[in-house]
Amino acid sequence: MKCLLIASESAEVLFHWTDPEYQQHIQEQYGASQEEGQGLPAFEDSISTLFAPIIISCSTMVDRLGDSYTSFTTENNHIYVLHQFDECLYIAVNGDGEEGEDDLRRKTYVMKKMIEVLFGMVTLSSYLLRRELRPQDTDQRARLWKHLQSLLETYSHLRENDQSFLVEAVERLIHPTLCEQCIEFLERRLVQQLNSSVERAGEEVLHAFILVHTKLLAFYSSRNASTLSTSDLLTLIIMAQNMYPSDVDHDDPAPEDVESTSGSGPESFYTPEPSPTDRDSSSSEEKPVRGSTPVFEFVDPDIQMAEDSLQTLEVPPPDPSTPHRVFLEVSLKEGLYPMMPHSMYCLPLWPGITLVLLTKVPTSAVAMSVYKFLEAFAKLEKRLSEGQEGSAATRGQPTIHDVRSKLDKFIKALGPSEIQSAQLQNVWTEFKNRAFARGGPGFNRDLIPWCKNMKTQLCGIYRQCFLIESGPTDIPRRLSPGLQERAQTMVQEKLMDWKDFLLVKSKRNITMVSYLEDFPGLIHFICVDRSTGQMIAPSLSITERATSELGKGPVAQFIKRKVWDLVSTTRHYLQKGYSTVTLRDGDFYFCYFLWFENETGFKLEAGDIPVLPDDSAPIGMLAWDYYSRKLLRYYSKNHQGEVVKCYELLTVHLGVIPTEIILQHCRQLASKLWEPSRNPLL
Amino acid sequence: MAELLPPDVRRCTYFFLYDGSKVKGEGDRTREGICYFYPEETPLDRQELLCGQLAGVGRCVSELSFSPVRILRLRRNKFAIRMKDDFFWVSVDAAGPAADFQDGSGFVSSEYESVMVIQRIYLCRSFQALGCSVEVPIVSVCELLDQLIDLFCFYNGSVRQSYQLSSQEFLAARWARYLSHLQSGSSELHHIFSCLRTIDSTNVDPLLLLKAALILQACQRCPLVLAGCILFRGRVVSTQMCPELTMKVMVHESETYTKTPAAHCSSGPFGGAVSSVTVFLTLSELQYLQSAPVNKHLSSESTPQKETPRRKTRLSRTLSDMPSTDSDPSDRGSLQSPQLESFSPQLSDSSVFSPVPSHSATDPLHPPTQPLQPPFSNGKHSSEAEDEALEEPSYYHSFHSNGGDSQTDASVFEENCQVLNGGGDGGGDGGGDGGAACGTVFDFREAANDESHDGKEDGCRSAPEPPRPPHCGAFDDPEQSQLVPMTLYLHRVKGLVLALLVEPLFLSDTASMEEVYHSSLASLNGLEAHLRTVAPGAPGAPGPYVFAHFDHIQSTLTTNLSGGPGGAPERPFVRATSLLHSHFCNTETLQEAIIRSAGAAVYGTRSVAQETYFQQHGGSFRNSGIPNHQDSAFSLPGKARHRLLKHGVNLL
Repeated sequence: MKCLLIASESAEVLFHWTDPEYQQHIQEQYGASQEEGQGLPAFEDSISTLFAPIIISCSTMVDRLGDSYTSFTTENNHIYVLHQFDECLYIAVNGDGEEGEDDLRRKTYVMKKMIEVLFGMVTLSSYLLRRELRPQDTDQRARLWKHLQSLLETYSHLRENDQSFLVEAVERLIHPTLCEQCIEFLERRLVQQLNSSVERAGEEVLHAFILVHTKLLAFYSSRNASTLSTSDLLTLIIMAQNMYPSDVDHDDPAPEDVESTSGSGPESFYTPEPSPTDRDSSSSEEKPVRGSTPVFEFVDPDIQMAEDSLQTLEVPPPDPSTPHRVFLEVSLKEGLYPMMPHSMYCLPLWPGITLVLLTKVPTSAVAMSVYKFLEAFAKLEKRLSEGQEGSAATRGQPTIHDVRSKLDKFIKALGPSEIQSAQLQNVWTEFKNRAFARGGPGFNRDLIPWCKNMKTQLCGIYRQCFLIESGPTDIPRRLSPGLQERAQTMVQEKLMDWKDFLLVKSKRNITMVSYLEDFPGLIHFICVDRSTGQMIAPSLSITERATSELGKGPVAQFIKRKVWDLVSTTRHYLQKGYSTVTLRDGDFYFCYFLWFENETGFKLEAGDIPVLPDDSAPIGMLAWDYYSRKLLRYYSKNHQGEVVKCYELLTVHLGVIPTEIILQHCRQLASKLWEPSRNPLL
Repeated sequence: MAELLPPDVRRCTYFFLYDGSKVKGEGDRTREGICYFYPEETPLDRQELLCGQLAGVGRCVSELSFSPVRILRLRRNKFAIRMKDDFFWVSVDAAGPAADFQDGSGFVSSEYESVMVIQRIYLCRSFQALGCSVEVPIVSVCELLDQLIDLFCFYNGSVRQSYQLSSQEFLAARWARYLSHLQSGSSELHHIFSCLRTIDSTNVDPLLLLKAALILQACQRCPLVLAGCILFRGRVVSTQMCPELTMKVMVHESETYTKTPAAHCSSGPFGGAVSSVTVFLTLSELQYLQSAPVNKHLSSESTPQKETPRRKTRLSRTLSDMPSTDSDPSDRGSLQSPQLESFSPQLSDSSVFSPVPSHSATDPLHPPTQPLQPPFSNGKHSSEAEDEALEEPSYYHSFHSNGGDSQTDASVFEENCQVLNGGGDGGGDGGGDGGAACGTVFDFREAANDESHDGKEDGCRSAPEPPRPPHCGAFDDPEQSQLVPMTLYLHRVKGLVLALLVEPLFLSDTASMEEVYHSSLASLNGLEAHLRTVAPGAPGAPGPYVFAHFDHIQSTLTTNLSGGPGGAPERPFVRATSLLHSHFCNTETLQEAIIRSAGAAVYGTRSVAQETYFQQHGGSFRNSGIPNHQDSAFSLPGKARHRLLKHGVNLL
């Protein structure tokens, strides 16, 4: 009973995902309110109709009260979490008690993060994003939604089963020598060879990493690359997992899935792929409906896009060598650039082991310019809407005249390319007339719509540059298939002997057995280095047929459940400013510690931790990096010029162990796990 | 009493009651559905906005989830909500056509009355300036709302009915009074735990408490007295009732303490010192009160024969005529735990049923001529009665038919008593008092089965009796179960009040009243004089530690916190307590917890019956946060155990 819905302010469904139970629930709902004899309408229509009042009420509340809904809870414990990102309203629903409010909020943020990685700066224009998320062409829409749905499912699966996605930090395979060898190999052999090849078509490999299931074996970044943020890395791992799902994770549940769907077949809630006739009728139905309810149709008359460019979206053929366009954060000396275009090559080595290459696209300078212009217009718009006028509105870096000359040059440079920039040119001319012309209105509130329009146009350019595949006549801008194949073979050869070991190792990276002697009574622990976004934890995989130290079946499940609950509980306390928590719960004793160190490992004094409201962004690193954006920034205020590192430790002990001993254990773990050698106790 | 808090420390910022059944058509304006809105000075268009949007979205979500919305959060507000599909009432005498109901598909029916009550817990702006806002946990917000609705029902009967009987303005004044009472808690901790305000027992000679308890017991010698409590200046001295009920009784007390008795109070023959008011108890509350203390947890197993004589006496008199003797106690005794009746073999005995015709003779006494009055029991259409009879055990109807006809107006009680007496007398003709009572019990079966005796007997034998342990915590939702009118008798001696829940008959029984009055008068005077001399108890010097100890069973709070809003140094403690309390509420297995922020470490522990929170002042908690067994935070459990012993809190 789970659902995630993205809707525009006009209650148009931009994306939806439901599990089969919720889909059935919705159809029963809708069926109940339908006349007898009428067939069920398209699922999208049902869900849109049922949620429309909530969505409309949401925008009414925002407009008239300046406040918006964040959650509903019903007596039978259905939870609805709502969050508005710009003009898109995300609604996540759970009706089976498996997810709490925090989980649902996290899901909406993760979904937003994935959309950002997939669509980049187009997300900054809600007008364009709406069209991007809901393509006119129903086939294309179905394909896009299916892709997003499967990403979401992959994420949910990982969050429920993988500790690294539970705490949102990357888990490395603990095998120092092999890791070192692999990094060296990536650096000296692979990346060097790729970047010196002529077949790379202008692309430059920035990062290369090898994943064994979700765990990182080796990660190499070229010297002129900026660091890849944990948030982006985790998202890329989800994408890689989505493309090449781990066999273990997916083999086990598969037979059940087949059974459950075939078993419920006669009930016909499991909507089959809509047949072409259905699609035609649904799309033809849609138009009159829209026409009759013009209230909901939001068309900004000022926004005129090059409509052709929006229609020309051609779906690339499912060619495995086609890279995925991803938009990642880049931090350069001159500043932080979010959502810069990269190509992601996901090369399967063996089932479960994947090589991922991230390349910089040759035209990425355009993205940087667009971002700078967008930023300038956003700042201007903000000042204007705050009521500042004239020079007060235009002060700051870069100056508006600077922007003006740069934008003139930028448009000129776009001219000869095949990018349709006429519309941008027109809007820019109009903007200049209003803003700079003598006797013109100048910088005042009236300019706000033009700022908005400029932003939209710039996003449109960005979209044309990076989101639309160039036509077949163009030279493919990607590493040639041959080059990709060579890279694949090279790494395969390198790892051939290790393959089986790695697959086993990824399941039992470190095990509790090695700790039992030193830490009697310790059941489980998770240690996270938040400054590097890495974590260590004994394996807790209970999907295996083999028994783990925790045993099999209900006991292991129970402990797993406890660990998952503990993480969410401690996050809640952290959100409210508590960095140390110990809990005696049933037969267990749980501890949570968060502390700061400087570079040399000196423990820094615990400082105040910000107290956040309930509906703040979820604490974690995947969707929104709480630790670096909130915690470290807050903490560093008192430690300027110092590198501050942040660590977390969670432990589960038997309740009968004296608290003194438990705390000693925690201390030992905390100091030994991250010793400079980086070698955990083994 | 009446410690009014500054407006920004108000416990609730919005509260409203919205009747969706009044706003159905296109032309209906939202304001017509607003029964009550707090704060009343809110501009009408904002009232309409909130009511319309929240009720609308609440209804939409409820339809999506097949369940009423309980909690709704906005970014800046959180609302507890109660929605009731009051099917039963509306189908009888709703303004709308009842036919719509029959084909409506339950919840999705268009004739859907929603009683939405909404509130926001403060997030004090003044405290935000301090950088830490105390948020009362959502558990407490929901509790507050339930209390408010329960209070309303306790003094006015069901919401639907009271809005049919009384004017909106009159009831608005009532809501406002209950709200201000509930908001006038002495500290945030009280709000978090929704606890009773008690006198500080550490300052009071235990003998005085014993004396108070004895006074209450003495009053119970009169069989018409169900239970009582003694209050002093808005605080509980001693109570025989469960905390929920005591809390409700206290509202009236605090109100009469500050004002002259309101118009609805009828003064007794003893002048201004004694007053009474009609109140409505839920069936389980009544059942709880009527069961003897020793048997409270056993009554479901016990048989009528095992019951204590005292119970029999009391209850037999309840339903039969007053002067009747204890001549046939067994039958009458059986009535007080009617759950057992259906299983007891006597019931199939025809002699038990013989009074039934006599009961039907009482029907004319239930005046169907009063159009406003919902014909709860006997006047009901048989089909509806049948529905109800199938759903509810017969037992509930017995009380229902006794009491359902009463109005908030005390004068009706006379009539009511006559009804009861008449029934009893008639029963006496047929087969004794007990039989009469039984006749009343099965009155509904009769209606349901078209007066067929055989069917009735089957019905009563097969009637499912859901086990309802008469435990305080499991009381019925007053909106759902029927409410039984009782009388709240108050005897005031200056700041001291003796509040007794009595059978309505008590008021007409001058002998009993006099007996209760005179037997307790001297003791009350004495108790008052003693309590008055007790110093209010210095708030206590800010010691090296703070603690709060909450007793679930009695719903009392012991703390050395000075109380009052705005105590900045206590803020971290209150904040932590609030968080831990809601964690304890949500996680059954959690026994103890230590949480530490940069400034404070707070230890919380709980058992089945109590929760205790402890914070040690002084001593720098500044440290690195890395696990360290020498950390003073982890010595809190030991210190708490040690320190709290002298406050009577045993954590061992």
